[in-house]
Amino acid sequence: MAATQAPTRTVGAPTGTRPPADGNARAVRARRARTAGFHLTAGLLSLLWLLPIALVLVTSTRSFDDIAAHGMGSWPRSFTLANFGQAWNEGGQGHAMVNSLIVTVPTVLLSLLLASMAAFGLSRYDLPLRRTLLLVMLSGNLLPPQILLIPVSKLSEVIGIYDQLDALIGVQVGFGVGFYVFVLHGFMRAIPAEIQEAAVIDGAGPWQIYSRIILPLARPALAALSALSFTWIFNDLLWAITVLRTDSKMPITASLIGLQGQYVSLWNVIAAGSVIAAAPTVAVFLRFQRHFVAGLNLGAVK
Amino acid sequence: MTPFTTDRRNFLAGVGAVGAGALLSGCVTQTSSNSPTSQSSSGPVTLQSNLSSPQAKTALETLIAAYNKKGGSRAQLNTVASETFRTQLPTYLTSANPPDAYTWYPGSVAEAYAKQGLLLDLSDLWQGPDLSRYSAAMRDLCTSPSTGKKDFVPTDYYWWGFFYRKSNFAKWGVQEPTTWNEFLALCQTLKTKNVAPIGIGAGSGTAWVASAWFDYLNIRVNGATYHRELLAGKHSFNDPQVHKVFDYWGQALPFFDPNGTALAFQDATTSLLEGRTAMMLIGTFFADAAPKDALGDLDFFRFPVIDPKVPMAEEAPADGFFASSRTAHAAGVKDLLAYFATAEAQELYIKNSSGTVLPTHPDAKDNGTPLVVKGRKLIASAAQVTQFFNRDSSDALQPTADTALVHFLSKPKEVNSILTTWQRDAQQIWSK
Amino acid sequence: MAVLTMPRRRPGATRVPPLVLAFVLVPLLVEAAWVFWPALQGFYLAFTSWDGLAAPRSVGFGNFTTMVHDPVFRTALGNTVLWLLLFGGLSAALGLGAALLLQQERRGIGFYRAALFLPVVFSLVATALVWQGMYQPDGLINQVLRAVGLGGWQHAWLADQSTAFYAVIVPALWREIGYVMVLYLAGLKGIDPQLYEAARVDGASRWQQFRHVTLPQLSSVNAVVLSVIVIDSLRSFDVVWALTRGGPYHSSELLSTYMYSTAFQSLRLGYGSALAVVIFVLAFGVIATYLVRAFKEAS
Repeated sequence: MAATQAPTRTVGAPTGTRPPADGNARAVRARRARTAGFHLTAGLLSLLWLLPIALVLVTSTRSFDDIAAHGMGSWPRSFTLANFGQAWNEGGQGHAMVNSLIVTVPTVLLSLLLASMAAFGLSRYDLPLRRTLLLVMLSGNLLPPQILLIPVSKLSEVIGIYDQLDALIGVQVGFGVGFYVFVLHGFMRAIPAEIQEAAVIDGAGPWQIYSRIILPLARPALAALSALSFTWIFNDLLWAITVLRTDSKMPITASLIGLQGQYVSLWNVIAAGSVIAAAPTVAVFLRFQRHFVAGLNLGAVK
Repeated sequence: MTPFTTDRRNFLAGVGAVGAGALLSGCVTQTSSNSPTSQSSSGPVTLQSNLSSPQAKTALETLIAAYNKKGGSRAQLNTVASETFRTQLPTYLTSANPPDAYTWYPGSVAEAYAKQGLLLDLSDLWQGPDLSRYSAAMRDLCTSPSTGKKDFVPTDYYWWGFFYRKSNFAKWGVQEPTTWNEFLALCQTLKTKNVAPIGIGAGSGTAWVASAWFDYLNIRVNGATYHRELLAGKHSFNDPQVHKVFDYWGQALPFFDPNGTALAFQDATTSLLEGRTAMMLIGTFFADAAPKDALGDLDFFRFPVIDPKVPMAEEAPADGFFASSRTAHAAGVKDLLAYFATAEAQELYIKNSSGTVLPTHPDAKDNGTPLVVKGRKLIASAAQVTQFFNRDSSDALQPTADTALVHFLSKPKEVNSILTTWQRDAQQIWSK
Repeated sequence: MAVLTMPRRRPGATRVPPLVLAFVLVPLLVEAAWVFWPALQGFYLAFTSWDGLAAPRSVGFGNFTTMVHDPVFRTALGNTVLWLLLFGGLSAALGLGAALLLQQERRGIGFYRAALFLPVVFSLVATALVWQGMYQPDGLINQVLRAVGLGGWQHAWLADQSTAFYAVIVPALWREIGYVMVLYLAGLKGIDPQLYEAARVDGASRWQQFRHVTLPQLSSVNAVVLSVIVIDSLRSFDVVWALTRGGPYHSSELLSTYMYSTAFQSLRLGYGSALAVVIFVLAFGVIATYLVRAFKEAS
């Protein structure tokens, strides 16, 4: 998969070139100053960005008495890991985490399967109205989700899957697929037509072209979308509370809201809960960072 | 991989059903009338609960466990965050396969559901050995004015008052006030002690606690009858009487904690217990957010007298349960609710919760602390009892009050326009 | 953008294999079942008065005429436009700025990029909780202000009508800038370095290079950034709702929060649906205009 990643290319000033051997001292100093300036700016910016995260991490290890007496923003005077246990067990986050994964993994796979099929059809064949279809599918993603809440909960009831994780998978697939089609369409359209024409001459049908040629070529896009959609689906709250009503079925985000309702003033427990809820997506991000970064702008691939 | 394949199969089957199912049975707005017999009536009775604070949640869990141990029908508790619960309650009740029983409040706030025939008729339960002995006031509160049926089982009630820490009042050398002027003088004294005299937690999603101030001032200035009529839309929030309420509020406003509109009431509780604020007008449920060791140090005084000619009414909201009329387990639900109505169940609940509520059963013992004894006396001596802003009107009216009152707390000078806006917003709810 | 997948033929002459048709129709049907069909019902509700319990009552365009005279709607509409401009403009500008700053591969760059991107993977629930902690009266922001001697600037950030709107935009930006930055980073990477060399040979200054090479080359990325920003502006519902619920007294009210509170708190579901229709028309208007233009250019 890595081979299909665009090799990183430096843009602008060639930083790799060494200064001339006779050593223009002034140029070297200027370059060092620029480097220092860069690291100072970028470092401060990163620090600023990480500050809220650091606050949560610190808060999650403080005791309630410490926070109550000195305030959230004060220097910590206590250290405990008990909050994580409280959020995980009494707060019900352990169970909710399992639910989240049961929903997220099939949803990602199913969404991408369906989206790649549609994108293949729309981008590689001269379907009538294909632009309109693409726009219509994307427009589903533009609907304010709130307008769908009540109809969707009634719909899942009519089908008989209300309050089941299936309903959550269904609505997440339905709501997400439009955007994935749009992105994959952009990517697949860029695959040269000659490859497909050669396959047609060799007698390959649409299924072979889809599964043997286009899908493998679209792997970087699929990898990127998997990573992205994992975070989106994992982080959903609105759909979960719309089609589910049993606390033992709720995913981690709804459980975090429940945790907040349960421990409103216990900021340490809430912070621990937030850390737990964010851990899987952070892990996915750190593990698949390149896919995120390389593929995020697939819609704009030229 | 197993979960995936099953899920996908079910899902695809579901999608197939959409074409037939959704199109035929069609409209979303129809409160689906599938007969509940289509579902199995053998499963446990489900109880949907919004009691999500740690102590109340545990207490209810213990209660359900005790009930299940008795044999007979089984019950299953389902606790969801109270905000989720509130927004989803209409969906629950109108669904074809609803949860069986719910935590909720009696009175106006349940009436909209009763009117639509969504609540299970519990009149026969009220003939039973326990509920038949409940006070007449409770019985009336649980009878729907539109259907004449009793559809609610109250299990406990509590009171509102100015809570404070005894040790702090002793430290500052101050006493409980009884009249409005004494109250203002107390605030003045406290201010010199470098403490915010009046705490409130009307921010972060608990803006509704500000309504307690409006309720009490209106009850003390204009009386409980006027208050109820106002909430029912028979008067205008623009009336001179209402303006008078805000005149009094304005006198106390300089003594409010400036952080009060930025904190949830639970965080305001922390401020009170830490001595950053001196007292807070709140219901006893706030103790659920307090460490148990602080409970012994808490005391309260009743909202001071403003006009001695006005009979002293108190806010004493009741909590309890109702059930869905579409339940497939009518007998099981009634059995569960009948258990909740017993003295034994109520005492068990009180023992495991923060213990600051009063049981509705005449024989049930409260936890007997001086605080609770005092609270019981307060309600017993009240000329009339009100519930709370939303409970005496509707949940739909509550957001209009939240907007108006929080606005007033930070911009008291704009009271005229605030009340005009409030009346306009309320009118939209009443005429809905 | 100009690659055409297949040579264009006379319309109607192409025979599309049935399997390909199924490939397109199955996802379309799934979306239709879960999105379009519910949406149609939502649109229908927009022309009714409904409390979620009794049968809805048709009111024609009543909800839309009510809107015209509804001052909260006007506030929410104004705030939404301001949100689009501020949130959209700032995340585009700062995202591009961060991308330009961090575009060169050099030591430590991975860390900086990861730091800026990290908030993107947080759920809005977690984000809101984090920032609620930051904005607490005794939270980090106020404590830092006090520590550096700016105690007078301390604020109840979320509870003050003059600051709430901006206080809510900050966490939204915190999540968005990293995302936009990554989009632009990839866009910058795709620019042919020879273009810069040619510009340098012509004696173009850095600003001129940016103005005449970078910006035009990023135009296709801009389209994506625009769609992402508009979609995310609508999704900003969660973070606003969690932090202020549109308050205090509607000062941070967006159309999406107003829609939600009208529908689910005041139980005016008909009016709430009408508000949702307005949101949809706005979003679709912005994006469709852009997409249609992009498609035209492509063909």
